Amino acid sequence: MGLVVSAFLAVYLDEAVYSVASIASTLILVALLYSLNGASYAAVFQLGMSAGTIAILFLSGETLSKKITQRGSLRKTFAVTVVAILLSIPSIIFSTGTTSAIASSEVSFPEALWNLRSIDIVLQGLVVMTVALGVAIVLYSKKEGDN
Amino acid sequence: MTLLIIGIYGLLTKQRLLKILISIELIATAASMNFVLLASSLNKTMGQAFLILAFSTDTCVTGIVLALLILISKKYGTADIRKLAELEWREAVENEKDKNTTDGVDG
Repeated sequence: MGLVVSAFLAVYLDEAVYSVASIASTLILVALLYSLNGASYAAVFQLGMSAGTIAILFLSGETLSKKITQRGSLRKTFAVTVVAILLSIPSIIFSTGTTSAIASSEVSFPEALWNLRSIDIVLQGLVVMTVALGVAIVLYSKKEGDN
Repeated sequence: MTLLIIGIYGLLTKQRLLKILISIELIATAASMNFVLLASSLNKTMGQAFLILAFSTDTCVTGIVLALLILISKKYGTADIRKLAELEWREAVENEKDKNTTDGVDG
C-alpha cells in the first residue's frame, strides 16, 4: 500500500523536492519487497541504482525547475492519498504468495550471471559507457557552442 | 500493474519534463518488479540476472532524458512541454515569414 501511495504522490505533487522524496521512498519500498520475496541480489542492485537515480533527480529538480509559489491545499493532498489507497486495494487482494527463490532454485545467481549471461553483462557495460560518453559529448559541445 | 497505471497517468497528464522522467522511472520499476516477482514465485534465479539488463536500459533512458532536460532548460528557459511546443511553433512561423520576405525582396 505504501508503495502505491508514494508512487501516486510522486506523480501528483507539484514541488520537485517532495516529488523526488516520494519516488525515493517508492524505490526503497521496491527493494524491501524484493528482499521479502527472497530476491536479495535484486534488492541490493535496486538500492544501489535508486541511490544514484535519486541523487541525480534531486540535483536536477533543485537546479532546473522553478519554485512553485502557490501551495496545494492539504485537503486535496489528503483526497489524493485516499485515492491512492483505494488504488492499492486490488493489488493487495490479488497478490499471490511467493516463496524464497534461493532455497530451491536449480541454478544459483552468480552461476546464472557469469556462466549463462556473461556476454550480456559485458555488452550492457559497453552500452551504458557509450550512452554516458554520448551524453558527455552532447553537453560539452553545447557548452562550447554557448562560449 | 498499479504502478504501471500510475506511470502512464503521469506520462499523459503532466507537462513538466521532470515529472515525465519520474513517470518513466515508475513504468520501468513496474516492469522490472513484475519480472523479478514472477521469477521469484517460480523459484527461478534467472529473473534476477535479467534484472541487470533492465537496470542498464533504465540507466540509459534516465541519462538521455536528463541530458535533454538540461539542454532544453538552458536553451528555452523552461521545462514545460506545452510551452516548448508553443515556442517551436512560433519559431517555425517566424522562419516562414523571414523566408517569404527574402523571397519578395529577391523577386
